[in-house]
Amino acid sequence: MNLSSLTMLLAESAAVMLAAPLVVGTVHLVKARFQNRRGASIVQPYWALASLLRKEMTVPEHSSWVFRFVPYVVLATTIVLAVVVPSAGIGAWPAAASNIFLVAALATLGSVFLALGGMDTGSTFGNMGANREMTLVALAEPALLIVLATLAFFAGSANLDGIVAFFAAAPWRASMLMALPTLLALLLVVLAENARYPVDNPATHLELTMVHEAMVLEYSGPYLAALEYASALRLTAFGSLFMNIVFPFGIATVGTGVEMLAVGVLSLVLKLGFFALLIGSLESLLVKMRFYRMQEYFTLAFLIAFAGAVLAFAHTF
Amino acid sequence: MIASLVTISFAFLAAGALLAFVPSRTDATHRVTYGAFAFAGVAALFAAAWSLAAPQTLGALPMTPAFFFGIIGAGTLLASIYAVGYLPLYRDTYALPWLAAAFAVFIIGMEAVVLAPSVLLFLVSWEVMSVAAYFLVIADSSESSLHAGLVYLIMTQIGFAAIASGLLLLADGAPFATWPMVAQTASHLSPPELAIAFVLLLIGFGSKAGLVPFHQWLPHAHPQAPSHASALLSGVMLKVALFGFLVSLSFFPSIPLPLAALVIALGLLSAFFGALHAAVEDDLKRLLAWSSIENMGLIFSALGVVLAVAAMPSSPLSAAVAAGAAVFVVLHTLNHFLFKSGLFFAAGTIAAKTHTRDLDALGGLAARWPFFSGVVLALSLSAAALPPLGTFFGEWVYLQSLALGFAAPMPLAVVALVMLGTIGLVGGLSIFAFSKLFSTAFLGRARSARAENPGTLSPSLIIPPLVGAVALMGSSLLAFPLLSSIGAASARSIFSDTTIAPGAAMNAWLVSGLLVAALGIVFLGRRALVSARGVRVTGTWDCGAPLSPRMEQTATGFAAPIRFFFRAIVLARKEFIVEPVVASNPWIAERQLLWSVASFWERFFYQPISALVLRAARTMRSLQSGVVQLYLLFMLVALILVLVIAL
Repeated sequence: MNLSSLTMLLAESAAVMLAAPLVVGTVHLVKARFQNRRGASIVQPYWALASLLRKEMTVPEHSSWVFRFVPYVVLATTIVLAVVVPSAGIGAWPAAASNIFLVAALATLGSVFLALGGMDTGSTFGNMGANREMTLVALAEPALLIVLATLAFFAGSANLDGIVAFFAAAPWRASMLMALPTLLALLLVVLAENARYPVDNPATHLELTMVHEAMVLEYSGPYLAALEYASALRLTAFGSLFMNIVFPFGIATVGTGVEMLAVGVLSLVLKLGFFALLIGSLESLLVKMRFYRMQEYFTLAFLIAFAGAVLAFAHTF
Repeated sequence: MIASLVTISFAFLAAGALLAFVPSRTDATHRVTYGAFAFAGVAALFAAAWSLAAPQTLGALPMTPAFFFGIIGAGTLLASIYAVGYLPLYRDTYALPWLAAAFAVFIIGMEAVVLAPSVLLFLVSWEVMSVAAYFLVIADSSESSLHAGLVYLIMTQIGFAAIASGLLLLADGAPFATWPMVAQTASHLSPPELAIAFVLLLIGFGSKAGLVPFHQWLPHAHPQAPSHASALLSGVMLKVALFGFLVSLSFFPSIPLPLAALVIALGLLSAFFGALHAAVEDDLKRLLAWSSIENMGLIFSALGVVLAVAAMPSSPLSAAVAAGAAVFVVLHTLNHFLFKSGLFFAAGTIAAKTHTRDLDALGGLAARWPFFSGVVLALSLSAAALPPLGTFFGEWVYLQSLALGFAAPMPLAVVALVMLGTIGLVGGLSIFAFSKLFSTAFLGRARSARAENPGTLSPSLIIPPLVGAVALMGSSLLAFPLLSSIGAASARSIFSDTTIAPGAAMNAWLVSGLLVAALGIVFLGRRALVSARGVRVTGTWDCGAPLSPRMEQTATGFAAPIRFFFRAIVLARKEFIVEPVVASNPWIAERQLLWSVASFWERFFYQPISALVLRAARTMRSLQSGVVQLYLLFMLVALILVLVIAL
């Protein structure tokens, strides 16, 4: 029996959506171990989400319909992002679904709505988070587009499925060497897009230093659950994209045997585990940068991405 | 039939302008006038649609004029509907009959520019349009409007001089030459003459389209006009400038690569400066004007790509890149018209109801006007080129074409890379600008008493922006099927992927469908997972001290990081002045924060030029000593010089 598009789509969507809290739990555990703490169990985020879902919701008095609409849009765009990004397998979607510029725009759309939610509270904390988030989006955009377009140039295909298929088919060491600066820039952008160190501190308790957490400060109960889950899902989606390019092994393809799906899901879990380890370690070893030095970070990301692209051009001629 | 529709359009505009002067105690005259204008717009729209749908019909307009004629018609229709509800709010500010007359003449001028068959008619119509626009800018006769109008008038006359000399150079000095005759004479010109004509036309049309460095007038002039006219100035007149440039391009037998590169460079510079100033601007309408500069810059850069590809040896890759850039020009011309006029209507409504254009004094409107805020949100997302609205799909074609350009030979690939990076930054800044616009005007708490109780909105104020938002949704779903039908892209059915090059596909139906499906799942998920317990409205987290609207971030505060990161370019200056009130206690003091941003081009381009001119004038003045003998000597020297040169 061969793998149909629908089976693949359902299986990989389910895998990513179920794994998302686990990724966050693993990151927390890694960070706890770095801090010589025992840390909570890696399934703790599921319980946290479940208890948020049961809680009563409060909404700030000076907010409008936009505030209530934001969690739906943020979660919906993140779900679309997570299901179109190649995770356990590739080939399930039409080429247009995982187009690089579409994926970039979907990520941005989620960020914009999150910022609108932060602005609709009437509180300075939400406002600050919102304007920082939009600044980060604006500064990250050039590097993000260049990285994605360079990957597309390597693969000769502008959709993520095609890019992953290219890296899976190419000899690993040669292709990694060739794409090294681009992948480094991708990592920098992924860290920024997911509000991780050194751009943002996801574990801070000080409102003045927050970006993502400041925007969701006024949300509670099920809305908070939706936003927390969306943030975990976004990290997982970017993580599986990054890992599938860096370690393009064990990826199922539509049309191969059904057993490949099991291999795909298993390797996805391993890759996400490694990604969580990477993120947790980075967050324990790096320090957060001052917000007003962010232009240096993004200039660096841009220059690396630029160098990666020029290297790619030079390599082919 | 098409010819009579065009005639009807002109006739109703003229009749409406005359009708406006009939005195009446109610709004009847005003309504009939703008009803006539709206009808003229419908007639123009029909004429254009007919010409595009059936190009073989007798009297059908050619494709390019028909497209722009349709935009003028649609703009006239929307602006007239809007004016019915909008202008009575300003009965005391504007002389309504004269404003209606200027409005009609302005539209007649634009329609005539698009239809003009010869150099002279084109130039006359162009001047009619420009001068009528001047009267729209100074309509409220305030000090700032008069100043903006003066700057506009100077720039538009410089631009007109450039256009006139450029066209006459191409036509070999024959003012009555028709367009085919101009193309005929232009084919005999030498390359340097063609290059001079090209630069003149680029300056002329570029100054009207707001290209850097001739953009200085635009952010002053467009916002000063009444909002229904601002919508036409930004949404339509800039497109007429684009049309003029497109027409004149068709006369050139070939355009050398450096000139195409010049178009790209000016386009990207305009896009960058427009987006950056939009991001740091606090005035609602001026922000929109800056964004017009950005969008026209993007369109001109894509046009430059098309010209550059045409100047180079062709290959399948370059053909795909050029086709993508051309598709972007068409789609973005349409989409920018829709969202920009919609946003200007919305800005006019906000300014009329809250009596301020300052984003720092607005806020909280989403709670008062839920439906209207939804419309503006859709328009803002569209202006930020985010899915699922039409603008995103237009920009996607452009970005995708540039990404294809990575496979071009070495220097060109780096050009594509730099362009992609620049457009990424421009896109990011415009997302910043429009999320700032929407969130500071509509979200949170009102920052002033007027914004607290803005009153209700009449349908005439809501319908035009709503039409814009709906049309943008339509332009996302229908753009690609239409492109496939004219062969600019390929797709099997209207719902399937549209491919512009191998490996580059997009599908608006899929994107919208996925987003709607995901939203549906989230809604259903919420109903299934969450017990129907009520939502409690509580106070915002205030750290124990009551919050006031003054603690909210303003638009100025929102843009602070961008002002800081780009301080060398927006010339940001910040000064904190502390003046002690009591000499004994330094803490009792008056504190004042002065900050400003300035125009890079004004400081480093216009001011040096004007300083140079003034210095030259001062040097000349020393000749003017008032001694009669000296003047006689000058005349003698001049006479001798003339004789020497003549003989």
